[in-house]
Amino acid sequence: MDRNLRRRRISDRITIGLFMLPALVLFGVLVVVPILVAAYTSLFRWNGFGGLPTDFIGLDNFVRLLDDPVFIGDLRRGALLVVLSVTVQLPLALGLALLLNQKLRGRAVYRVLFFAPYVLSEVITAVLFDMVFSQNRGLANHVLRLVGLEGLSSTWLSDPSTVLYSVFLVMTWKYFGFHMILLLAGRQNIPRELHEAAATDGAGGWQIFRHVTLPLLAPTIRISMFLAVIGSIQLFDLVWVLTGGGPLNASETMAVTMFQYGFRRFEVGYASAISIAMFLISLTFAVLYQRFILRRDLEGAMTTMGDQR
Amino acid sequence: MATPIHLSRRTLLSLAGLGAGAVALGGCGDSGSDSAGIEWWHIQNTDPMLPVWAAFAEEFQAQNEGVGITITPLENEAFKARLTTVTQAGDPPDIYHTWGGGVLRQQVEAGLCQDITDAVAPWRDILQPASTLPYEIDGRLYGVPFDIGMVGFWYNKALFADAGITAPPQTWAEYLEVVGRLKSAGITPIALAGGEKWPGHYYWAYLAMRIGGIEALSQAAEDDNFTTPAFIGAGERLAELVALEPFQEGFLGASYGQPDGQAAAMGNGDAAMELMGQWAPAVQEEASGVEGGLGTDLGFFPFPAVDGGQGSASDAFGGGGGFAIGRDASPDAIRFLEFISQVDKQRRAVATGAFLPVTIGAEDAIEDPNLAAVAETLANASNFQLYLDQAYAPAVGQEVNDRVAELIAGQMTPEQVAEAVTVVAQR
Amino acid sequence: MSAPTRTARPRPERGNRGGGRMSRLLGPAQSLSLHTVSIIVGLIIVVPIAFALLGGFKDNRQLSNSPFGLPSPWIPENYLEILGSGSFWRQLFNSTLIALATAVIVVGVAALASFVFARYAFRGREMLFLFFTIGLMFPFAVAILPLFILLRTMGLLDNPLGVILPQAAFGLPVTIIILRSFFRAIPGELEESAILDGCTPFGFFWRILLPMARPAIATVSVLAIVASWNNFMLPLVVFNDPNWWTIPVGVQEFQGQYADDSAKVLAYVVLAMVPALAFYSIAERQLIGGLTAGATKG
Repeated sequence: MDRNLRRRRISDRITIGLFMLPALVLFGVLVVVPILVAAYTSLFRWNGFGGLPTDFIGLDNFVRLLDDPVFIGDLRRGALLVVLSVTVQLPLALGLALLLNQKLRGRAVYRVLFFAPYVLSEVITAVLFDMVFSQNRGLANHVLRLVGLEGLSSTWLSDPSTVLYSVFLVMTWKYFGFHMILLLAGRQNIPRELHEAAATDGAGGWQIFRHVTLPLLAPTIRISMFLAVIGSIQLFDLVWVLTGGGPLNASETMAVTMFQYGFRRFEVGYASAISIAMFLISLTFAVLYQRFILRRDLEGAMTTMGDQR
Repeated sequence: MATPIHLSRRTLLSLAGLGAGAVALGGCGDSGSDSAGIEWWHIQNTDPMLPVWAAFAEEFQAQNEGVGITITPLENEAFKARLTTVTQAGDPPDIYHTWGGGVLRQQVEAGLCQDITDAVAPWRDILQPASTLPYEIDGRLYGVPFDIGMVGFWYNKALFADAGITAPPQTWAEYLEVVGRLKSAGITPIALAGGEKWPGHYYWAYLAMRIGGIEALSQAAEDDNFTTPAFIGAGERLAELVALEPFQEGFLGASYGQPDGQAAAMGNGDAAMELMGQWAPAVQEEASGVEGGLGTDLGFFPFPAVDGGQGSASDAFGGGGGFAIGRDASPDAIRFLEFISQVDKQRRAVATGAFLPVTIGAEDAIEDPNLAAVAETLANASNFQLYLDQAYAPAVGQEVNDRVAELIAGQMTPEQVAEAVTVVAQR
Repeated sequence: MSAPTRTARPRPERGNRGGGRMSRLLGPAQSLSLHTVSIIVGLIIVVPIAFALLGGFKDNRQLSNSPFGLPSPWIPENYLEILGSGSFWRQLFNSTLIALATAVIVVGVAALASFVFARYAFRGREMLFLFFTIGLMFPFAVAILPLFILLRTMGLLDNPLGVILPQAAFGLPVTIIILRSFFRAIPGELEESAILDGCTPFGFFWRILLPMARPAIATVSVLAIVASWNNFMLPLVVFNDPNWWTIPVGVQEFQGQYADDSAKVLAYVVLAMVPALAFYSIAERQLIGGLTAGATKG
């Protein structure tokens, strides 16, 4: 019996080892090693050519980062996108989720339709809206002319003061359906009795929303916010194709800046430092958010992050 | 990254007309089939040059049994992105487009392209001597030119006449006056692709040349110091121009070759001037969709002189296109460059209106009077300076474009521009 | 958190979970206003796509003069030219191949690991699990540069594996989290009886567990396919050879190539959308189920 147990334990170990091996190798070589490579090259001045970097400069790249108006601007723009997501996109998604929770003929159709933009790739969305915002052949300006708002027309993507809002519009178009679906699922998991009880006690619609719906939806809302933040830290495809980060870096994000330095200016060392900074920012945010806000619902959030890449 | 032909998300250096879809995306139908052949990347991905290049390759293969040429035509911006990747991967094509200058130097230093000085020596005398300068690095030759040109002002004669302007300006002061008169006549004086940045750097570079002379530009690169009177002065003069608000609405985000961009504004007659290279007339026609472009209304004048400046008004700023030879290429690739440099081939290319000749004796193939004027100005140029974003190292060139764009947007002072470029140059 | 598919889809038809009394109070006026809002939002989504669809049938002059109206005359050349060019089909094939290969690898590898995470207790298990979940904080954008350098040294540039393997690696965290929670929900007695019947651990995993987990496998496969299908940055830097371009790269290149021919670009965008929307209509359930799994503590 004892020997059996021991043999069982050994065979379990072998099983664990064999089953874990492919995942560890794949993950180690292609996820962990790159970040170590990035950390290493971020300490050098290197143009990416040839073998290994040799010109060691310590933390200079990071010092330069903190002094780089574009990078500081990236942080500011990222923060603005987050604020807009939370104050505009989220209420919109929440409102629509509650709307589609009503008994409405054809709501299944609406749900599928609202979610559809989410499956289009960012690149396709960006090219489409590049056309929509085009000055002469675009849809946006024609719509504005039709409703008599010529004053607003003309420079969606070409004015530094409006470009980020235009990008945000496109982001909202693409992602609000995703957040709506999350919130709708959250809403449908609230036991119906709670609302009925509140209604029986004579609570009005607003009171029910305020005291029943909102508190019970809070975990889902927190996850939705979390995803919006991580998403805006990592925003690349949409901006790259839509504006390239311009005009005058007014729509640039950290990822775009990194790409510009790494693949355009050949400053691979500096670009690696930006990568590491992005990683640390994402990580710090995730850890703090989990600690202080999400606590136990992060695991759930994680499952929804596959789409974020 | 940005030369005229360089950098913009969607620039078309290529001229007039549309290439066939299949070609643009899939090479020439035979791409990827024969591995042993010569890989050739060029950026003339539309008519009129696309079929001409293809014909040259056919003819060369017909004369040389067993040599296969695989052509990959790429749009300018796509080309830069792809070349970056393959050079970083250490696997350059056998023949690829280059503008020479600092970008080519970096490739040379990384050992990516061949020193072809000795291979070209026997037939080098068929080329105009000045045309090979951008491809010479430390006295050795790394590329063969197929086109050369210069930047200058293209203007709409009809709009000038509407504003009562009879002759093109000769000095910067006169130029500013012309801008003022156009504005008061209700005409947009200048079309500018602010979104692409490289067209803006022409102003700064030309002004620096006129103020400090061509030596000031090479000296700055040598000393890694751009805080010199020539560059600060250039920024100040440019700021004077910007203060007049001469550009079209939405210029900060405007592209060069797109339907809403700089070239289209010229072709549609919505702006009176643009500072652009020799391909401008063709792109104006293509981007605006106006048959024949501005036709006889289009004129050309060199960049004006600056009062009290060291530089001569006949110093030219510009560049051309050339081909470099990848490090693993066979001698056949160099023989092909010799083949396309022959005067009969050059004449066929020049006749399309897309190129200005680099082979001696092909000049008479130029048909367009404006291009003839550019060629003549170029032939009489006292000095020649390559586009700054090509001449300098990539990071410096990029910085020049970015910072000058901010100056034009009124977000930077001339001193700040000069200092920012200096910081990058000293890195 | 229960089986992900349990919440796979809000079930409006049953109507007894959500609305409660309020839904019964929906009067005609209220219902009309709700429909109005829904229709407006629907239009905001549909109109740009319709603009592109119709724009592809126009020429550029029509596009400038009447971006709204129906094409007159209808010009099918833009679409026909793209469909006849071969490169579009090539990209479609590449995207499909890469998405399927990515899904197979990531699901296979993650299922093995999740099995261990769900059914074996060993020292360091939680640490190891955390190690994988940290991968979620590490998006492609962060890794692209070192990844490029790494793939360069491995000689995987211009090779579909250079996209497939990294995508699979980056897809592991999500897939492992979903599958682990699903495997945990399968009763232990099943495994014990299987072992007593002489099943090896792998035999149990292969013959009993995987077939039982089919819904979860479908969900994570769909997630992996969608992520791969839409990925842009990695194929952008890995593939120089146009023969390997995927649809997103192809769209971007096409836009650069034909910047001055808006109608043609619109046609290309529309054609590029079709496969994604078709797939969505088939796999909508798994996709929405996968995204909402657990996020709502179903």
